Amino acid sequence: MKFLTKINRSYFITLTIVLLISSVLGYLILHQVILNETKEALLGKVNLLKQQISEVGEIPNLYPEIEVKKIHRLDKLGATFKEIFIYNAEEDEMEPYLEYSAQEKIDDSFYSIQLRQSTFENEDLVVILALTMSLLLLSSFVILFVISWRINKTTWADFEQNLAEIENFDFNKKTTLHLMNSDIEEFDRLNRVLTKLTQKLKSDYISLREFAEDASHEIQTPLSIVRFTLDEILQLNPGEKIFEKVVVSINALKRLSALNENLLLLTKIENKQFKADHTISFTNLTNRKLEEFDAVLQMKKLTIETDFIEDFSVSMNQQLAERMFNNLFSNATHHNMENGTIKIQIKKNEFEICNSGSSNTLNNETIFNRFARGNSKSHGLGLAIVKNICNTHSLDIHYTKIDLHCFTIQRNKYK
Amino acid sequence: MKLLIIEDEIELLIAISNYLIKENYLCELADNFASAREKLSTNAYDLILLDIGLPDGNGLELLTTIKEHQEKAGVIIVSAKNSSDDKIGGLDRGADDYMTKPFELAELNSRIKAILRRRRFEGNSVIKFHEMAIHTDNKLVSIHRKNIKLTKKEYDLLLFLLINKNRILTKETIAEHLWQDNIDMADNFDFIYTHLNNLRNKIKNAEGTDYIKTVYGMGYRFTDS
Repeated sequence: MKFLTKINRSYFITLTIVLLISSVLGYLILHQVILNETKEALLGKVNLLKQQISEVGEIPNLYPEIEVKKIHRLDKLGATFKEIFIYNAEEDEMEPYLEYSAQEKIDDSFYSIQLRQSTFENEDLVVILALTMSLLLLSSFVILFVISWRINKTTWADFEQNLAEIENFDFNKKTTLHLMNSDIEEFDRLNRVLTKLTQKLKSDYISLREFAEDASHEIQTPLSIVRFTLDEILQLNPGEKIFEKVVVSINALKRLSALNENLLLLTKIENKQFKADHTISFTNLTNRKLEEFDAVLQMKKLTIETDFIEDFSVSMNQQLAERMFNNLFSNATHHNMENGTIKIQIKKNEFEICNSGSSNTLNNETIFNRFARGNSKSHGLGLAIVKNICNTHSLDIHYTKIDLHCFTIQRNKYK
Repeated sequence: MKLLIIEDEIELLIAISNYLIKENYLCELADNFASAREKLSTNAYDLILLDIGLPDGNGLELLTTIKEHQEKAGVIIVSAKNSSDDKIGGLDRGADDYMTKPFELAELNSRIKAILRRRRFEGNSVIKFHEMAIHTDNKLVSIHRKNIKLTKKEYDLLLFLLINKNRILTKETIAEHLWQDNIDMADNFDFIYTHLNNLRNKIKNAEGTDYIKTVYGMGYRFTDS
């Protein structure tokens, strides 16, 4: 809910409640005021009537307003007021009256006096009140709406613009956060805090990135020196025993640099340093890679089964797409058995690679973790890299096992 | 062939130059930005090996100097960072190739030779070894002047072995050269036997000598001795 909507809504609710209560109160007060006024008017009339009777001696009668009767003696003392309803034939409805009744002694005669005066009809009163109140409610809401619309146009516009700026802010871009200053202190305070925070975050982010890259850089140089030296020893043809040891060392070194490179790659993927600037067709990619890996398949005596129902293309980074395929494919060959199979199926929005292998089902939860190693030779980063590539390209990957071990990549439906 | 090697790590500089001297190149060395620029503006080189991570300047800036003074020279950028920005930036500014540390000396040799072949093709596009000839401009191989049909991988393999003749190459080095980034270091590289055996058979069928020697079952050497 927008801030203004929220304010408008609570204002509207409060206003309605206040107006409802004040309507009820207003009704009660008005009713009482009218009653009092009518009473006073009636009392005035009574005096006039008494004067008339004593001076003129004539008994006036005007139903229903004035009813005077001569009586023999006084039955009761004091005057009473009563609210009554009298049928009005003309309008065919009961009308409210305030009735004054008293027994009086005027010039040695006794009279029963009943004076009535029509009061406001309650219904009318309610209608008038309701009308006034809703008019008030409507007009104040219109005014409020106009005011908030104007505020939105002016004050909130800056805020909205700043919000959009923050939303589009990317640490990878070389721009800094530019927030507009407004004449509202709270907003400016927020801007100052945000600017400071992003600057700090950005410098942390850059130094972290640089650290990862510099560390990798610094590791690669001594690795190169060791590798060149070992290679020199190798070229001296030092005899089988030493030769074997040197080859083992070189290969261990290669694994170390591969590990280093893969860790760096993971960091770069997580930092979103790769642009998805190619449309990758999984069918083309698969065909190209299968040709590339033909020797591997022949050597391991693996059978490839492909089923391309419909092409699946994704906007991806070329290098990462290749890496993703390589890792999945290496995985499928590594954990395979002699004369095993690899099945690749591509259909709309889905790429699936399955391989024969051990009968154990792997854990879908932990298999994509870093250093979750399938065997002692691998470094356990292959699938973590695949998972990260998927995450940054709005793709989902999951593992299932029915007959074969399958990895399925699908377009993420929620993005 | 005169080479300039620009590299700030002295040990690396020595290892690379020792190796290239053995390959009969004339090597000059520079271990910092300033001396590299000075050498570039006074001498002429056929090929420049440029480490862009120099302590006293960005190596990429040397590419401008190279463009000015070294028109004929080929350039290989060497970087410890496998950064696509550096790679694209370097290649855009006229570098011929880009290598990431750590690399193999055999791989470096093969790339240097490829650039030199491309840069001056007068007669250099054919690599000969006894009865064998590799015509690199149309990727043909002939034995006793008769062409033999090789697959792309077999051709690359033969070229790599021949260029690094007399050197012991481990199967991992060969696999890395043939498949580059596509190879996972955890893999078992025995599959290159398939290619090697096919290549050997094709050479033998054309009555050529099998110069590919196996070294303790772990490496190979292309040699006539």
